[in-house]
Amino acid sequence: MRLASRREPSGVAVTETHVAPHRPPSQRAGAVGGGVRTRRQARRPLGLPWILPALTLSVGLLYYAIGYTAYISTLNWDGIGPNPQHVGGGNYTRIFHDPVFWDAVRHTVYFFVVTFLIQTLLGLTFAVLLHSRVKLAVVYKVIVFVPVVLAPAIMAPVFRHMFAPDGEFNGLLHALGLGTLAQPWIGQTSTALPVIMAITIWEWTGVTFVLYYAAMTQVDQSVLEAARIDGAGNLRTLFNVIWPEMRGTTVALAILSAIGALKTFDVPYLVTIGGPNYATEFLGTYIYRMTIPLDHVGYGAALSIILLVVALVMAILFQVAGRERKARD
Amino acid sequence: MRLRLLPKSTVRRLSFLLAATVAIAGLSACGSGGSSGSAGNATSGTINWWGWTPTDTATADNYIAAFNKQYPNIKVNYKLVNISDWVAALRPALASGQGPDVFDVQPGAYVTEFKSFAEDLTPMAEQALGSDWKSKVAPIGISGLTADGRLVAMSVGAVYAGMLWINEGTFQKYNLSPPTTLSEWEHVCQVLKQNNVGCFVQGAAQEGFDQDTLQSIANSVQPGLWTKASTGDAKWNDPGIVQTLAIWKQMFGDGIMQTGAVGYQQYPDANNDFLTGKYGMVMMGTWYTQYATNKAMTAALSAAGVSGAKPFPILPVAFPDVAGKGNTSEMYGDSDFGLAVATKSKNRAAAETFVKWVTTTTAGQQVIADQLDDLPALKSVEPNLNVIQLVNPSSQTKPVQDLVTSVGTVTEPRESLLSADVQTAILAAATSVATGKATPQQAADTLQQAAEAAGETFK
Repeated sequence: MRLASRREPSGVAVTETHVAPHRPPSQRAGAVGGGVRTRRQARRPLGLPWILPALTLSVGLLYYAIGYTAYISTLNWDGIGPNPQHVGGGNYTRIFHDPVFWDAVRHTVYFFVVTFLIQTLLGLTFAVLLHSRVKLAVVYKVIVFVPVVLAPAIMAPVFRHMFAPDGEFNGLLHALGLGTLAQPWIGQTSTALPVIMAITIWEWTGVTFVLYYAAMTQVDQSVLEAARIDGAGNLRTLFNVIWPEMRGTTVALAILSAIGALKTFDVPYLVTIGGPNYATEFLGTYIYRMTIPLDHVGYGAALSIILLVVALVMAILFQVAGRERKARD
Repeated sequence: MRLRLLPKSTVRRLSFLLAATVAIAGLSACGSGGSSGSAGNATSGTINWWGWTPTDTATADNYIAAFNKQYPNIKVNYKLVNISDWVAALRPALASGQGPDVFDVQPGAYVTEFKSFAEDLTPMAEQALGSDWKSKVAPIGISGLTADGRLVAMSVGAVYAGMLWINEGTFQKYNLSPPTTLSEWEHVCQVLKQNNVGCFVQGAAQEGFDQDTLQSIANSVQPGLWTKASTGDAKWNDPGIVQTLAIWKQMFGDGIMQTGAVGYQQYPDANNDFLTGKYGMVMMGTWYTQYATNKAMTAALSAAGVSGAKPFPILPVAFPDVAGKGNTSEMYGDSDFGLAVATKSKNRAAAETFVKWVTTTTAGQQVIADQLDDLPALKSVEPNLNVIQLVNPSSQTKPVQDLVTSVGTVTEPRESLLSADVQTAILAAATSVATGKATPQQAADTLQQAAEAAGETFK
């Protein structure tokens, strides 16, 4: 740190040498009279125009919006009425007694655990398989990755049709002689959430695969060769050599999956509208339901603030856990 | 890479330019957001009409074409917005001043929600129909579209519900009669299922259509009870409502409701399934009369993804006496929608001309009536069944004519008394009972609590 702070003045001084001749006489005089400290102060505003656009965007859009949302969360307001009613923490109290909110939280946790584990398993498997000498590997890579680029809005009607009582999935079960398993997959509370998770896994496994595939290219070949020479088989090499090297990627994927679970909106909204009977309600869909169709903008804002806090806490926990493990290693 | 710093004079100029740009942008934003619209010309201009209904642009274009015969210099652009996206799309559009000149308003919650964005149309109604204008239009279209003494929208027409629609061909093929009791209904469903035909299809994931079925069941249990609960004269956990939910649950257990109904939406799922012949019965209102015609049925089949399908006749039948108490089928209705003129419209005069023509002239209302989507708001206008081409006039003309005549005496409201919160609570009660998550009594108690929490008061 000391080294860096010493370098800074010398670096700026070089620039100052170029700038000084173009300054008005009055400013030059001030700079000369003030010594190094004064010259640095005079230079400071010069950087402002460069960071102003980013500063305006981040402060104006992001932090202002968060602050405004926090303010709205203390109101009983429909979003357009002229006389919002201040309720203090009333919206938060209501939320903690709202069974739909707790259902949404449970769904989010369940959704994160299941989708993360299965995506990790599938992504890792695909990456390992496609790192071996497989014919038409490029074709398989494309097939695994294509769902990532398909918009959920396009695929939602397809899935609604596929999982309808007379849809293709039940047709497939009948064709396989498993007709007794056929059921209205998105029309009953017990199976609607698993369907949403299956669609999400189908959609995002491509990203997991790509990240693991890229990470595996970074594994030192000499380590793999050494493992082979020591007599390690495929599975032992995978679990004892490759998998530990994937730790950073797995942590990153866990963070992405957790944030994705908190933000989940499109698939449950488009496929099941959060139903039936709130069986696929997530925080995102509930915020939308309360804010837009029901006009409870204050309540929706309070839900948004809770979502923000949960996301921040989770990101910090993941970061801390990652650093501790790194320190131990 | 190291950036060369700019001379201070240049920085000053840049800062000034930036500040000026921000100031101008701010001023222009204030200007566009805060200004009211202007009157413009009453017989020319371009106006934008947003609506969730008519649900197909061909019908709207038909209205506009008839309007343009009288007002050729007013161009009307119709934008169809799905009902599920309606509030999300309309609110910011109207608030920003960049929204439609004319927009649909449904009686009930939407009137309260959008009243501040709409002109009071009372002067327009008085000018078009005289000071006794209220006696010339269906009363059900005035009360539901009025808020704070202002006529937020002028009713285009009304819709009524409380009946079933059946596929005539399916019933004839299996020698079935329309059911009049719950046991007859169950028998019809058994026969159809034995022949691999679906019986009754309901989009139980959508609150409005669940309410129709529940209101009809409640009318069978105790006529008028549903409306009393809506007005606060009875509680939602009244024994009659509990029995209503119990019968609703029985319809799922006895095989009347299709499998997976609580995951179905009435539009497009149930509608498409009925129109493609997969099911023999559906709970729809008078707006479904349009599909008794060759033209609308063919268009609907095409929209449902059936190419080259032949239209088939559908018939309205009374809702069965499911409680077995001998109560006749009571119908209920609201203005389907009214047309509102946006306060921020820049072509307000032309917009009023369009709304006035559609809602108060005989020519405009006859076009609405002959479409058979809505029953016209003007009392003096009726559908001309001699001109309308029904799929099978010999079997359809009388039931359709009887339906049109019978709704003239209906006074029971459909949805206009229910707030969005209560409608959501009704859906939750219906689906929790259907899925077995709550007993009818528990669901009714929860519904009552939700209504009270939403600010409803009860005697």
